[in-house]
Amino acid sequence: MLNLIHNETLKLLRRRRFAVVIGILVAILAIVSYGQYRQLKNQVNRNWRADTQQRIAHFENNLRRANTNASWARSLRAEINRLQFYLDHDIEPNKPTAPMFVRGFANVAGFLLLPLLVSVLGSDIVSAEHAEGTDKLLMTRPVRRWKILTSKLATLWIFSTLTLFSGGVLAFVISSPFLPARGWAAPTFSGFATTGTFRPELVRQLPLWKDALIAYGLEWYALLTVASIALLLSVVFRSSAGAIGTMLASLIAGTILTRLSPDWTAAKYLFVSALPLADYYTGEPPPYDGMTMAFCITLLGVWAIAAIIAAYAIFTRKDVFG
Amino acid sequence: MTSAAPALSAHELTKVIGRRTIVDRVSFDLFPGEVFGFLGPNGAGKTTTIRMLVGLIRPTEGAVTICGHDIRHQFEEAMRCVGCIVETPDLYRFMTGRENLEHFARMLGVKSSETDRVADRVGMLHRLDQRVGTYSLGMRQRLGIAQALLGRPRVMILDEPANGLDPAGIREMRELIRGLAADGMSIFVSSHLLAEIELMCDRVAIIHHGQILRAGTVRNLIASQRAMEFHVGDVDRAGSVFTQRGVAFEKDHDRLFAAIDEADAAPLIAELVRNDVEVFSARPRLQTLEEMFLDATGGESVD
Repeated sequence: MLNLIHNETLKLLRRRRFAVVIGILVAILAIVSYGQYRQLKNQVNRNWRADTQQRIAHFENNLRRANTNASWARSLRAEINRLQFYLDHDIEPNKPTAPMFVRGFANVAGFLLLPLLVSVLGSDIVSAEHAEGTDKLLMTRPVRRWKILTSKLATLWIFSTLTLFSGGVLAFVISSPFLPARGWAAPTFSGFATTGTFRPELVRQLPLWKDALIAYGLEWYALLTVASIALLLSVVFRSSAGAIGTMLASLIAGTILTRLSPDWTAAKYLFVSALPLADYYTGEPPPYDGMTMAFCITLLGVWAIAAIIAAYAIFTRKDVFG
Repeated sequence: MTSAAPALSAHELTKVIGRRTIVDRVSFDLFPGEVFGFLGPNGAGKTTTIRMLVGLIRPTEGAVTICGHDIRHQFEEAMRCVGCIVETPDLYRFMTGRENLEHFARMLGVKSSETDRVADRVGMLHRLDQRVGTYSLGMRQRLGIAQALLGRPRVMILDEPANGLDPAGIREMRELIRGLAADGMSIFVSSHLLAEIELMCDRVAIIHHGQILRAGTVRNLIASQRAMEFHVGDVDRAGSVFTQRGVAFEKDHDRLFAAIDEADAAPLIAELVRNDVEVFSARPRLQTLEEMFLDATGGESVD
């Protein structure tokens, strides 16, 4: 099996798919980093310490009022702690930093860019063999078809992981020259909102690095699902264009659908609805009721397993014609 | 020669797609050390049969046994005995010849030093480090055979190996194939060209509309199909002479074709000369494959 994965890795690299993915990441991150840098320059003249102290004083006044309920008080204290942390560590709150940029990348890229890059990697992993005619050689060697497909799936998962990892590393490396590189320990607040209303008791306070790890972990899980579906599309379609096109269309259609027709709640069972896991973790309300974190994770898992089963069933049984 | 166990055996292979029967109860055996020709026009079911032999297409009925292993139930063992090129010799164009060979060597689990041996066998060591995309069709064909030789298989299946090659390339291919057979390998070659099969093969099966029409040694099959071609001055008068002597013939411009043996031609030529018909040439002529089919199918047209 290691030999097979070696082969698939070699082919994927030689087809320059991963180079394209890294190229796209570098280009997009460079542009966005520069945008953040411009924003930073515009804020530079404001006296942020006085602003922050004033906000803390305001919140403390609120806390001292008698009729403050418990949960509200908790979130106020959390906010005070956060602002105080920034003051103590001489970091301007809301000021873009490289670590925050890395953290934000998981959310922003999670629902479209990263899935798209993974489908660029995955959509031709089987279909290109067919288009180039090499499938008839690959499948007449003394290796069972399920083993071949397993090596392709494993390779795809490895490179999906690498894509996400490279995205995070590149986000830091590229933004560091423009943005302050410190601030990994800055407190962050995240809460998974199961309903549209803000529920402070769900708010968690974590250092940024821990929060980022969780967000990247969720995003990684979502990407493995996307990779599994990309594998199925690659098995079904004879051309890479068909596979990439279908994946792109479903990602965009899903996004439009959740915005335009929120009443059609069955759409919550589409994998696209559950894809922005990192967003939901941060506190962005999911588009439909009942989409808890557990629901989203289960939904993606079901999609991934179904896609893998279908891909194996088709690949191991199909007749290979010219 | 045919006393040994067959290296490859196809038994009643049938493929039905929808209502069409593409391959209909095709059976044959391939013995060690022989070159077996599989002859038929394009669309006769040659490629579908080959794809069933190597497990790319699942037969509707029938079975394939390679070196004693049923390909459906013992796929890995069976395929370890086979090297093949199905249709075009497609390899990864974005990799070098060596990388391609190493790729398939890894699938077989053989040492990468094997790549040099097989490349040397087909005479392309010097081009091995160039990208396959830069190869000519002849080079790709050789690399395809080199790939098929990895793991020292006992059976080689080659689909139209001479397709697209120039005359020199065809000759080299022929010598290579005969050389491999001399080493004891069993070789299955498909072609739509009779001449090619005649020069290369020991035995041949003719497939048409998915069925094997004839099978036998090349010599017998072709000997039974000889005709004489007469190039004469007056075609009409020659024709009446033939008719008088009860010889069936066909006319084509200034030539007559008669289905007779070479030995029977001399008295016919004498008769023509006596009747003042100029005879410019008289020679045995191989029937074209198409004519052979017409003959075999009882005049049913080939399309």
